[in-house]
Order: sequence, then structure tokens, then C-alpha cells
Amino acid sequence: MNGIHDMGGMHGFGRVEREPVFHAPWEGRVLGITRACAVQHIFNIDESRHAIERMAPADYLRASYYERWLDRNIRLLVEKGIITREELERRMAQLARGTDPAPPHSDPKLTDRMLRVTKDRTPYRQPGPASRFAAGERVLTRHDAPVGHTRLPRYARGKLGVVVRVHGTFIFPDTNAHGQGEQPHALYSVRFDAALLWGASAEPRAPVHIDLWERYLEPAAPERSTS
Amino acid sequence: MEPVPSREIADMGGAAALPRKNGELVFDEAWQGRIFGMTVAMSHEACFEWREFQAQLIAEIAHAEREGESTSYYERWLHAFEQLLADKGLLDSGALAERTRDFESGRRDDVF
Amino acid sequence: MSGTHGHDHDHGHHHREPESLLSLRVRALESLLIEKKLVASEAVDRIVSAYEQDIGPHNGAKVVARAWVDPGYRQRLLADGTAAIEELGFGGVDLQVVENTPGVHNLVVCTLCSCYPHALIGLPPVWYKSFEYRSRAVREPRVVLREFGVDLPESTEIRIWDSSAELRYLVLPERPAGTERLSEAELATLVTRDSMIGVAVVKPSAAAAR
Repeated sequence: MNGIHDMGGMHGFGRVEREPVFHAPWEGRVLGITRACAVQHIFNIDESRHAIERMAPADYLRASYYERWLDRNIRLLVEKGIITREELERRMAQLARGTDPAPPHSDPKLTDRMLRVTKDRTPYRQPGPASRFAAGERVLTRHDAPVGHTRLPRYARGKLGVVVRVHGTFIFPDTNAHGQGEQPHALYSVRFDAALLWGASAEPRAPVHIDLWERYLEPAAPERSTS
Repeated sequence: MEPVPSREIADMGGAAALPRKNGELVFDEAWQGRIFGMTVAMSHEACFEWREFQAQLIAEIAHAEREGESTSYYERWLHAFEQLLADKGLLDSGALAERTRDFESGRRDDVF
Repeated sequence: MSGTHGHDHDHGHHHREPESLLSLRVRALESLLIEKKLVASEAVDRIVSAYEQDIGPHNGAKVVARAWVDPGYRQRLLADGTAAIEELGFGGVDLQVVENTPGVHNLVVCTLCSCYPHALIGLPPVWYKSFEYRSRAVREPRVVLREFGVDLPESTEIRIWDSSAELRYLVLPERPAGTERLSEAELATLVTRDSMIGVAVVKPSAAAAR
């Protein structure tokens, strides 16, 4: 989708600030909730990313990193029918009045799974069909804007690139984010010349490499010798 | 001027080593960072020498291990800090208990 | 913030989690110490922040140090990063390692969200997740690097890696001159998180790195 999240090459942001931010305790709770949902396969990472992408642009820009995660968690838990927004609002009102109706809940097995989560991630490499392109081949990226989730950045649409590596076959986010199956297939590292991406304002010798699925790519005409 | 981490504090070894994950300090809860910072701040103000606190911390950890207590690192740190302050006559345990009740009951909400 | 160590406490007959009581106690302590003018809240903030940034050798730094001292490991790391880090006991990430050389400097970004090799270099710095970095690193890497204090000659190629898939990228920085006599463990202490993202180079001594 043409979302605000797709930021590569955008103008208007300023210097990269290096001020540290003092983290609030609630951010850790959001991380914990996210882990709990992930290990119980309530949502997959592609659904998770697409949920953040669907925030209203103004909210996305204003929100902090963990505020986006919180919005994402609520959005997905509601869409999956696990909570309703009314329930959430009622509970918030109760907590604001100082009462917490939820009894303390401990689940050592779940806790253990959550702590091991970096080792238990769904492997994104899955068997798939043979790759079409080889390293060194020139490719052209699709130029249309899909309405759903995709990992082809807007700045690289309709651009000429060169395959530098064939990574193997990986779960395809464009379908996995929408309940259309994993459909694993070839993933490539594709190199783009800065001048082809940015035009005259491009810096010299600053190629961008992006990991792209085969379904984003078409073969490009071979380079013609200029002599 | 920003404080520069003291190697004596940051690189404590053995049982007293600051909990880290992947090189970074770990504070599971905000209060752990606060008690860490308070202890370091007071050592800067020369209320005590760092090695005095470190000795107290090591003793506290050893005691907790012997007793089979399941307390966390920073809980032990808190006990060590309170003990040190009491030993130096800088804190009265009755005053602390009362102030804790003030926060618990909601009669007080700001630390300052 | 890393709330990932879920200590699962038994609640027993308490109606509140023990952490809450501890949190109240620490607030009470801070309150009393401020009254006695033994502590200032702002000083506590700055101390915590300074120590949080004082990062010890990351898993990634150990990988880099090994690659510097062992040419065979370096080759394996560049050929198959995922397998090579497992040799050192690190896993959980599909990894591509890209090496800096005198003519090539690598820079990692995730323009679409902020994917990052957590397993190797901990939590991402706030600036890595910022809109500023995500939008500008791909378009004007040379300017961004200069803002970080890295001035590269025009002849150096800057390769930007936009982490758009589940592969994660780690930069293998150049080993600084004058470190020939350092042990592998000492070398690891020189390697900063920023150098493994690509916004810094490794300095020959820890003092110079800070």
C-alpha cells in the first residue's frame, strides 16, 4: 500500500537526532503483550507490520515507536475477535477509578515460551519453487502500487536493478499478511544505482540494495554495448 | 556535563556484576534504574565510597544465596543500599516505612 | 527498555505483585533522600542514561573480533552469516554480513519499519527507528554519515542495505591500525553497536571510541 510508513527517500525530515529517550514502564508491558501474542500465533509478523501500516498517517507520524506497537496490538486483537473496543474502554475506565478486576495470572509455561521467543521464531525460509533469476541478471521492479501489504518500497518501484545474490525461498509477506497463505518463493538481493533511484540529486557511488521477492520482478532487457 | 560511567561501577564482576543482556544494562522495571541511579548519585556526592556499597552488595547477595531466597539482583541491591544508609545514620527505617505507606495509600504521588 | 525477563512471582496471599511494593518503596526512598538534599532526581536520570549507553561487548562485537583474528572464520562469516554465528553460540537470526574495505563502506537501514539484528546487537538506538534516518539513509548516505562524524572520500562506495525481508544485516567494520597486539577479547571491547550498523568506524582504543 502507499502508506506513510514507506519512508525511504522522503524529504522533509531533519537531522538524525541522537538524544536518548527515557523509557516508560508501559513500553515494556507492550513488548510483553506482543511476545505473548507472537508465541501463541495470534498474529504473524506480516499481519503485524501491515496493522501498523494501516494507522492513520497523522497518528503514525505523531506516535512514538511503542505507541505504534500498542495501536497495532489493539487493532489485531480486535480484528481477530479476541477483545472488543468496548471491552477495552470499559476496562480502562475501571482502572482509572482504581479498581483492577483482573486477578493476577501466572502461566509459567507461557512465560518460558516467551523468554525463548528469539529461538522459536517461525523460520521464514521455506521450500519453494526454483528461482528464475541468477546473480548478475538485470531486473525491473513492478511499478504499480498494491493496496495491501508489500515489502517493495515505493522509491524502488518501476526501477532497473541487478541481482547480486539469490537468498533462497522465503515466506511471501504480500500473501501472508492477508490470510492468503505463505506462498514461499525466491528472494533476491537487488542492487540499484543511486542515479536511477534519485536522478540528478543522487550522491555518487551510493548504490542501494534491497531484498525483493521474485513476484516483484520482471526480466529487464540485457544491457546493450554502447560501442 | 554528562556523567561518565565509572569503570569501578560498570565493570563490577562476579556475583555483583550488573545484569546485562547483549552488553546492555537490563532494568526490568523502572524502579531498578532509579535505585541504581540513586546509589551512584550518592557515591558521587561522597556520602560513601563505592567499595563500601560494593562490599554491602556482595554480602547481601551471599546472604540471599545461603538462605535460598528467590529475590532479584536489584531487590538485593535495594536491601544493601538501605542497610548502608542506616549504618551511616543517613536514613531512618521508620521514616521510610511511613513514606512508603504515603505512596501506597495515594496520599503522596510525587517524589519531590 | 527490555522488559523481556519475565520473573514469574508467586502471589501467595498478597493481593499485589511484589514488584509494585518495591516500586513504592523506591519512590519513597527517593522522596526522602531528595528532602534531605542527598540526591537530585535529575542527576539520577542522567546517571541511568549514561550507564545505559555504556554498552559492553555485544554478541556482534565478539563475532567481529573473531573475524578479525581468524581469516577462515571471516570467510565463513561472509559466505553464510547464519551458520557462522552459530559456531560462536549465537543464533535466532538469518544473517548477512557485509564487510567494510578501504574502497567500500556499508550502511544498514530499514526504510519500511525498523528491522534490526536484535540477537546480535541488542536494542536498536532510538535514532535508527527515526523517520529522519529511515528516509535519508537511502537517499543521502554521505551527508548522514558526515552528521555522524564519518567523513568518507568521494571514491569510497557506500553500499546501503535496506532490510526489507526477514534477513538481517551486520556490518563487519575494518580492524583499526595499531591493534595488532590486542587479544580477541580486547578487540571485542572496541567494536561499537554504531560500527556494526555502519554509522561509525572502529577506533583503535576504547577511550577514542567514547
